Parts: sequence; C-alpha cells; structure tokens
Amino acid sequence: MSCYDLSRLLFDLKMNEAVYQRASADFENVMTGYDLSSEEKDALRAGDPRKLRQLGVHGMLCLYIKRLNPQFRDNIYWAQK
Amino acid sequence: MPLVSALAASHAPNILLEPGREWEDFMDLHYSMAPQGSARRPTLDQQKKLRQDAESAFAALRADLEQAKPDVLIVVANDQFVNFFWNNIPTFFVTIADRVQGQFTKHKFDYRNHKELGKAIIRAGMEKGIDFSFGEHIELQHTQNVPLHFLLPQATIPILPIYVNTWVDPAPSPRRCYQVGELIREVANRATERVAILATGGLSHFPGSPRIGEIDESFDHQLLDVMRQGKGRSLVDYSVEDLLKAGDTEFLNWMVVIGAVGDAKASFTAYMPDFVATGWGFVSWKLV
Repeated sequence: MSCYDLSRLLFDLKMNEAVYQRASADFENVMTGYDLSSEEKDALRAGDPRKLRQLGVHGMLCLYIKRLNPQFRDNIYWAQK
Repeated sequence: MPLVSALAASHAPNILLEPGREWEDFMDLHYSMAPQGSARRPTLDQQKKLRQDAESAFAALRADLEQAKPDVLIVVANDQFVNFFWNNIPTFFVTIADRVQGQFTKHKFDYRNHKELGKAIIRAGMEKGIDFSFGEHIELQHTQNVPLHFLLPQATIPILPIYVNTWVDPAPSPRRCYQVGELIREVANRATERVAILATGGLSHFPGSPRIGEIDESFDHQLLDVMRQGKGRSLVDYSVEDLLKAGDTEFLNWMVVIGAVGDAKASFTAYMPDFVATGWGFVSWKLV
C-alpha cells in the first residue's frame, strides 16, 4: 500500500520551513492536511523513525520526524541538504 | 577531445561536518534508527584523524583534476529527496540550468552550469536509446557539495550535475549506468572543450536502516581492486540487489564514470571506513 502522504509530510518537515513551523506549533492540525491512516498518525505521534519505517517509508525520510523532537531541534543535520 | 580526468569520491556529510558537536549531532540522528550502532562511535581524535585522511585523499584527486586543466566538470550524483520526490523520480536527469547553487551548513556553492554540454548529452542519448529527463532548476545538495568543497572550492569552471536514481526502488542496473558513461565519453570525444567527470557517493553504508553503522569493507575493497586493474567493465554483471546487500547502491553513480573511463586503470585509490556509517572511497583515473 502506498504511503505517499505520510512520506510527503516527512519530506515537508525538512524541506518546507512553513510546514515545519506550523507542525512545531500544532502537529495535529498539520496532519489533517495529509491523507493519513490512524496507524500512520499514531506512528508520527510516537516520533520513532523505526515505527515509520515499518509502515514502508523510506528510511531517510523516517529520520525527519526527529526535527519535531526538542532534543534534535538544533541538530546540524537540518542545516544541510 | 577525450575525457581528461575522471574521479570518484564519497559524499558522506560527516566528511565536511566539523569534528566534535557537528559529528555528534550527525551520529545522534542516524543512530536513532539503530541505537546499537552507536556502540563504536569514533572519539574526537578519531574524527579529526578521519577528516585529515579525507582531506589528503581529496588533495590527491584535486591535484590530478587541476593537472588535467578541464574546462568543465560533470558531477554524477544521486538526489536524496531535495529535488525529486515520488511525484516524479527520474532514473537519469541532466541539468540544463544557467546556474546551480546550494548550501551546506556555513558553506555556500554557486557554479555556472554547462547546459550546452548537458543538451549535447541529452541529444546523443536520444540517438542511442537513452532518454534522459532534464530540467532548468536544481538545488545542489551534499551529494555534490561535499566533494566540490574539496575539489572545486572556487567556481573557476562550470559544472554539469547529472543525477542517477540510486536512492529509490527501482533503480537502474549497473549495466545501464555503464552505458550512460559510455555515451558521455562519446560526447566528450566530440567536444572541443576538455571534459572531466566526477562520481560521488558510497561506498558501503546503510542510511536510514537498522543496519546503519555496518560497513561491508570486503565488498568495497573488491570494487577498488577491480578499478585498479582497469576491469570495471566486469562490474556490469552485478545486480542492484548485489549492491543493495552490500550497502553500495550509490556505486551506481560510480558505474557511470566507470563506463566513461572504459578499461583505464585507476591511478589512485584510498579507502577509510569512518566507523560511523560509511566506507569512504576515493579514486582517480589519469586520462591524459
């Protein structure tokens, strides 16, 4: 099964600063803009890239969920593409 | 005229990140996929030593490149969800922009793009049954910026980014990548300018995978040995699955350069596993 929207949300978290800012403030609201199953939403809320990978997301996109984790917010990784 | 220089080099971000906090950040993020991979994190001294070793290898490649006096550098790399996403993932993409730019932490990159050479490659491909995707805008990313920082820090010549999909299944076969390299060599042979080519990526690594931290050094050494012997043509029989198993799918970028050099023997190789994620590889073919 395709996980296009789930992947797109993770892509946008890294590549689209406006989406990242909105997600930082209200992630639940941002998720409503994507066609996500309840299982996918739960995996996103958990913030664990390993769970996202189990849903079929490319492994590198899975890591992008970490951008919403306060411990990773200033990680140098976000300053490069 | 014939290709004047061919190079291949890893583009692992930590090559250009600063030892210390930036490396630690990089490892923290990647090991969130596989916490056990963190067990053998390199110390700060080891990080500094790796950086020095990489700089030495890049210096050797840069000396060969400068000695060849190229007029343009083709850069064969893979996109990693910067320019392409699942709405459109090209197998092979040629850049026909006027300029190409990008940034990596504090480092900025800005080059003229050799779109005329790009169009010549696209047209030659159409004659030979290789139909490239192409476009007028791309953003340079670490897959180009890391090697360019060391090899072409001043934009003294234009570059030509060519993308290979090594990142998303299904990827092209090593044989097909080799054929693309042969095509590029034919175009270079007809060009009046001196053309150099660089492949980036690899070697063995498993980004975004529970296997992050594993490095198949044995497989990498086999590849480098084949290049030293000038037998790169024999690698066309590998399957994508063979490369995937060894964490070497970015070697598809290298297969383009191997197709471009044909049976030439690599004149320089260097290899160092970074104990983080990647077997760093560096190769030069002196062609003139």
